[in-house]
Amino acid sequence: MRSERARHNKIIFSGTVGAGKSTAIAALSDIPPVSTEAVASDETAKLKRTTTVAMDYGVLNLPDGEKVMLYGTPGQERFSFMWDILSEGGIGLVLLINNANPDPLADLQGYLSAFKDFISSTAVAIGVTHMDSSETPNLENYRAKLAELGHHPIPAIFRVDARSRDDVAMLVKALLYTLNPGLIDA
Amino acid sequence: MSRHSILPGQPVTALFLLHVGSMDARLIGLSVERHWKHSVRLASELESARVVLVDCDRPGVEAAFERLSPHPRIGVVCYAFHPKDHSQRFPNRVILGKPLNLEALPSILAKAAHDSARTIAAPSLRRAAPLTQPAPPTIQPGSEEPPRVPIVTPASPVPAVVVAAAPIVQAELQPQSGTTAAPPVSAPQADPPGSLGHGVQTDDERDLCGALEDLPAHPVHPLPDKIFFNPDNYLIGHLQRAFDQASSTGRPHLIAGLPRLIGVRLQPASICVTDFRDNQLRPLSMAQLPQTTARIVSASTLSHISNHGTTWTTEDFFWNVAAWAARGRLPEGTDPYQPVRLRAWPNFTKVFMSPHALRIVALWVRTWASPIDVAARLGIPQRYVFSVYASARFAGLIDARKPRAATVEARTATPTQPTTNAAPPAQQQQQQRPSILSRILRKLLNAV
Repeated sequence: MRSERARHNKIIFSGTVGAGKSTAIAALSDIPPVSTEAVASDETAKLKRTTTVAMDYGVLNLPDGEKVMLYGTPGQERFSFMWDILSEGGIGLVLLINNANPDPLADLQGYLSAFKDFISSTAVAIGVTHMDSSETPNLENYRAKLAELGHHPIPAIFRVDARSRDDVAMLVKALLYTLNPGLIDA
Repeated sequence: MSRHSILPGQPVTALFLLHVGSMDARLIGLSVERHWKHSVRLASELESARVVLVDCDRPGVEAAFERLSPHPRIGVVCYAFHPKDHSQRFPNRVILGKPLNLEALPSILAKAAHDSARTIAAPSLRRAAPLTQPAPPTIQPGSEEPPRVPIVTPASPVPAVVVAAAPIVQAELQPQSGTTAAPPVSAPQADPPGSLGHGVQTDDERDLCGALEDLPAHPVHPLPDKIFFNPDNYLIGHLQRAFDQASSTGRPHLIAGLPRLIGVRLQPASICVTDFRDNQLRPLSMAQLPQTTARIVSASTLSHISNHGTTWTTEDFFWNVAAWAARGRLPEGTDPYQPVRLRAWPNFTKVFMSPHALRIVALWVRTWASPIDVAARLGIPQRYVFSVYASARFAGLIDARKPRAATVEARTATPTQPTTNAAPPAQQQQQQRPSILSRILRKLLNAV
């Protein structure tokens, strides 16, 4: 029997430290997100004051009373053991990459590799954040990287502001249509 | 262009720009100066005009009409993005759709001037009624009195297009473009023009995607001209030339000759910079700009453009400008039955989305299919797919190097396949729970 967590409809938000996972979930969630942000004590502290040490959790309340869980994974790789557990039974992955990191294309590769099995059975939509402060790599560079990594067709990849509900919703919509282009809002 | 639209010997129409934006005024002035010398002249004051032009989308239009009260002999031609809406506000007014068709405009102005003068010469209906809300006159049974305002019917070639910012707008009549007139006085309950009667199509959709009828599922030749547009006649063509020259020289290039500058720079990042605001860029993109209107010039920097200029990635900028030019049409030379593929998703958080754009792209990035096939597979009007195609082509996202097998597959696709066929085998397991995906989608669509 699947666990309670696995039986829920859920969308996974993952990505690099500081990419805006917690912010994105907060932007989309219908409830105040449950966050496990803590004062960063490792190298993350150089990037931001607090960081997610377990997971973020938000909810989309559907009109019929059903809920869609929004799970944010911790960014640090030492928590990667949690990624498989959290993503079990998920609808798909929203991957956020911080373009201001030293090597965002390597970050992309790392996360796609970590979620390879999950993505192959579902779908991924990628949001690149902080492009206003760091113009490169641009979306074309990301697409080239995705093609090089053998992702055909190339997944949806957008420039996003994680604070923008519109942007985050667009990522989720792209994820849904990737799963089924014939989808209608019925 | 319009220089031949007025018959020789016809008097020059004195036009007063009663209520138009500064950019429209400048561009219409240029058109008069360059092309309408023998048919239209600009009047410097209302009293000396035979006809006036009114932009119904600008604030204060009621006050503008009030100014006309003492001048019942002056004809009035209005224009708006949504003529139908304004025809209810201002019944018995001729309201053209934006963007204006400048080829037809001189003759429309002349007709409005003539009709107004004729109306006043006869027992006047308009004089007796408030100008802003004239009451439809009662027509006695059996009356054969002709309508007193020009009637635009689907069969009559009428104006459309405006250009809020085109120095010269050549004629390319979108048959479905929004042009309307108030119901004729003799038929106040008349149906709206056919061009506006496309079911649930919204005004925005019509503005941005036109209202072309679908082509047959199987190739037909020749294809109707109206499904195509010539990019060289629009801003997108100038942009493409600027891009090409910037690519070949490695230097930024500007489009000069427009009311404001647009620049293209490819290094270090590929960007477009412009002083045009979004609400100016859209009508400018929809307008026809003959090649002589603007010129491409090399620049060492883009510093010509003010600090308030907006910066876009070239891909996003080209996508939008192409979509607005296309209005649901294809670039000339496109074979709508030829399978192509999108090589990537556009940046949908920044670019214009035609209806169903997400679905179209989601399908087209993984399937070789012609625009006709994509529309059939998704069960949507072809004009929405044409819009995406046009944008994607200029954004560099079309992959036309089709494998032979893919061509065969796409060409043999059943035109009316159920939408679920759009999903490849890998997605079949996901379709076991379409309801939850649909419900999430509805939630997002309603919430955002």
